Amino acid sequence: MAKVLEGPGMGLLRKWGIQTPNYVVVTSAEEFEQLSAVNDWLKQSKLVVKAHEALGSRFKLGLVKVGLDLAGAKSAVKEMLGKQIESIKIREVIVSEAIEHKEEFYASAKSTRDGVDVMVTTFGGVEVESNWDKVKKLTVEIGETPSDAALSKLAKDAGFAGETAAKMGEFLKKLFTCFENEDAQYVEINPVVLDTAGNLVALDAVTLLDGDAKFRHKDWNFPFAAEFGRAYTKNEEEVMAVDAKVKGSVKLIEIPGGNIAMLPAGGGASVYYSDAVVARGGKLANYAEYSGDPPDWAVEVLTEKVCALPGIKHIIVGGAIANFTDVKKTFSGIINAFRKAKAEGKLDGVKIWVRRGGPNELQGLAAMRALQDEGFDIHVFDRKTPLTDIVDMAMAAK
Amino acid sequence: MSILATKDTHVVIQGGVAGVNAARRMAEFRYMIKQPLNVSAFVYPPDAGKTNEIVCGTELVAIPIYRTIAEATAAHPEINTSLVYIGADRAYAGAMEALDDPRIKAVSMITEGVPEKDSKLLGKHARKLGKIFNGPSSIGVVSAGECRLGVIGGAFDNLVACKLYRPGSFGVITKSGGLSNEIIWICSQFADGITTAIGIGGDAYPGTDYVSYLEMFENDPQTKAVVIVGEMGGDLEERAAEWYGAKKRRIKLLAVVSGFCQESLPKGMKFGHAGAKEGLKGEGSARAKSEALKKAGAMVPDTFGALGPAIKATHEELLKSGQIQPIPELAAADLPRLPKTVEQAKKDGEVLVAPLIRSTISDDRGDEPLYQGYPASELINAGYDIPHIIGLLWDNRLVSKQEAEIIKRIIMLSADHGPCVSGALTTVIAACAGIGLSQAVAAGMIMIGPRFGGAVTDAGRWFKYAIDNQMTVEDFLAYMKKNVGPVPGIGHRVKSLRNPDKRVKELVGYVKSLGIKTPHLDFALEVEKITAAKKDNLILNVDGTMAAVLVDIGFPVDSLNGFFILARTIGMIGHWTDQKRQGSRLIRLFDYLVNYASPKRREVPPLK
Repeated sequence: MAKVLEGPGMGLLRKWGIQTPNYVVVTSAEEFEQLSAVNDWLKQSKLVVKAHEALGSRFKLGLVKVGLDLAGAKSAVKEMLGKQIESIKIREVIVSEAIEHKEEFYASAKSTRDGVDVMVTTFGGVEVESNWDKVKKLTVEIGETPSDAALSKLAKDAGFAGETAAKMGEFLKKLFTCFENEDAQYVEINPVVLDTAGNLVALDAVTLLDGDAKFRHKDWNFPFAAEFGRAYTKNEEEVMAVDAKVKGSVKLIEIPGGNIAMLPAGGGASVYYSDAVVARGGKLANYAEYSGDPPDWAVEVLTEKVCALPGIKHIIVGGAIANFTDVKKTFSGIINAFRKAKAEGKLDGVKIWVRRGGPNELQGLAAMRALQDEGFDIHVFDRKTPLTDIVDMAMAAK
Repeated sequence: MSILATKDTHVVIQGGVAGVNAARRMAEFRYMIKQPLNVSAFVYPPDAGKTNEIVCGTELVAIPIYRTIAEATAAHPEINTSLVYIGADRAYAGAMEALDDPRIKAVSMITEGVPEKDSKLLGKHARKLGKIFNGPSSIGVVSAGECRLGVIGGAFDNLVACKLYRPGSFGVITKSGGLSNEIIWICSQFADGITTAIGIGGDAYPGTDYVSYLEMFENDPQTKAVVIVGEMGGDLEERAAEWYGAKKRRIKLLAVVSGFCQESLPKGMKFGHAGAKEGLKGEGSARAKSEALKKAGAMVPDTFGALGPAIKATHEELLKSGQIQPIPELAAADLPRLPKTVEQAKKDGEVLVAPLIRSTISDDRGDEPLYQGYPASELINAGYDIPHIIGLLWDNRLVSKQEAEIIKRIIMLSADHGPCVSGALTTVIAACAGIGLSQAVAAGMIMIGPRFGGAVTDAGRWFKYAIDNQMTVEDFLAYMKKNVGPVPGIGHRVKSLRNPDKRVKELVGYVKSLGIKTPHLDFALEVEKITAAKKDNLILNVDGTMAAVLVDIGFPVDSLNGFFILARTIGMIGHWTDQKRQGSRLIRLFDYLVNYASPKRREVPPLK
């Protein structure tokens, strides 16, 4: 899944005919100055200013300002841009038009195993959580398109009446069309409001797209945002750049405060290793994974980042018995980075634990074992040692 | 018995390099169980009409490549399964094509990064047709002793270590490719091994899930227990639990689920496979899945590490109840072995190969070339020069400083002789005709022979013959006249006594100044005295001078033309580059330079 920020998310809704407030995404106060000179709505409407970054709880952090006039918006833009929130610097701000409205509704579409669930309720905004049982759902089977009648019945069932029911039916049709055509996995519009002219407007939306479908969406010219309420770190972004370039994959997520560094192979095994650390009361310093026989230099880059994690006591170089990932080759990348890290003093007091099997396992494990002679505190095990036993040993050793 | 991949499975592989690699791995498996390859065809439009060569044991088998699935199944009606090894952007169309073919009953896709919508549509289409769509992101399927689809099971040694040459009693279903292999290994060490292991892929919505395969295992009498390796996210494990708990099942179910670490991670931080995502409302956690499976009666060890002992306990229970019998193990000597390559067997000291060629000059098997055993870089660092390399490679010896200087001067004097001589002219003509450097220089080289530049070896041979046989100049000339003809190395087209060749004077002067013994040169100069007296231009030419000097410093006669060839190569490369630099155009001989002596135009007689 790939999260899309508000600006491009709104752009996709507009593309499929859903009305949204006017908005601009700006990266500098000068840019906003110029935009406000040419866009009348910026002079005439009440404005909302929000930090346009993958940050959770923006309200609490003072990164959402509402009910502003243009002058207020300008100072809010100036104030927010460049602000440092932990590791993240605010680089973009979105300024949108406040829409006068009375009622707030909720509409969403979600990908499921069988197809798409279209959901709607008259209880929008913050009310939706406490009224989840009032949400009406229509399941559309994969490959099918819901009829106008089915959607308008869904709206009526959810409690919309008269003209609004017809409009909501129409709105849901646009939402579904957008969802289908944009390879979306989740679109939640909350609130949907009725403006003074009687039109349904999408005020805010969460948009998750299927990143794997990017190849058939030439107009997805926006970056995807991290899903975990913070922006990616520099190291994570560097590993992602390598990942995008190579056969196979390398992945890294940093977890501040941990002391057990993870460098396991395989999307499946890596999670079992993480589970084992947590189950033994350890604190993960990161998540990492390499798989699909990536080139040695890619694994080397990943290893460098893992060795550079602050305050680590152990590195877990785990892995199942590979099908086609060459153990000798991938280990040579790890070993290169280990040597570099050791020379830089990054591995002082760090214990390394290795368990692996697969093509050329004998040579790969022997090369790791030979690091003992170079003064590494390294403990190497083969396939006869059960997968996560090295985690138990590491935790017992501290 | 087994499921999905059986001894009756015949495969078409859709894709290029990755598909060929899979076929090789599949061939290794078939060799292990002493069966012929079960890949009948490839479908890969760019190479349609060609074949892929697959190593099967000690043989190479040519498997045809087709443009479409229909062509493949028409030519090979035994095909009933397709493996998809094509990129994510074309995988959907490829798999649809295979599913729609009436002969194909199962399609397994290894492609990663397939859009969710595509896999859902493929799954739906397969279910509608009553077929299996396995994957995407599936490492493959392997049935011990019967069939391997894809690279699942890894390298040959691992296949043998995991006893995949004969069936056991455990079925395996995993999302992860690496863990499928790990479980196969565990089943072979803690129990009697597997029947079939299936990778369903780590995506959120795999085409076929645990339940479909559990149902198939339930109907396979050989399979007594099934191990499933689950992950947080989605509801596949819950559905498996529901199936298992719904009624009394014949098979035992063992399961582990990953993702407990999520509980203590910063909120929203998720990792692992694409499908390993908790639902937005918290459903699909590892704990919920684990609980559901336990409740349904499955054995759910707390950790992955406890899975081995659990499998062992299950196996012992099966033995005790008499449901299975112990399988006798093969002796180490009877274990299947892959034929060794000649390289490996040589390395292991197991074969003697009669060499095809013998070389006494150089060796580049190490990290740099060795010339007569001397590393090239060390020669450079010790101050040696190109003439020394010539000595090492042409005469297997390190020449002295003095000899090197002579060689250098010979090459400098012979490097070029202008554009008009046969060799250079040919190279120039070739360059003007747009011919490449190596071909144009080779064309010039072809001119070197008895009349142009190629007399060095012959001159050396006959001067050496005279000295070796202690002939007088008179005896020599008489012998040559009788048996050979004109003396090679004597005579020049334009130069003469009055118009001497400065190159010869230069070289002779230098060599004589060194005070070394030069019997051949001395002899050649004596010959010149007599021949030039007879005819003005019968002087010792540059070929003859070079030859005599080189024989004097000990070079073998057969290498002598090499000095001219080497030197002149420098000139020819210069001429080619020169023409290229000027952008020269095609040239041809002018008519007035030809004496047209053929018959004048006349009438063609009727064909008889």
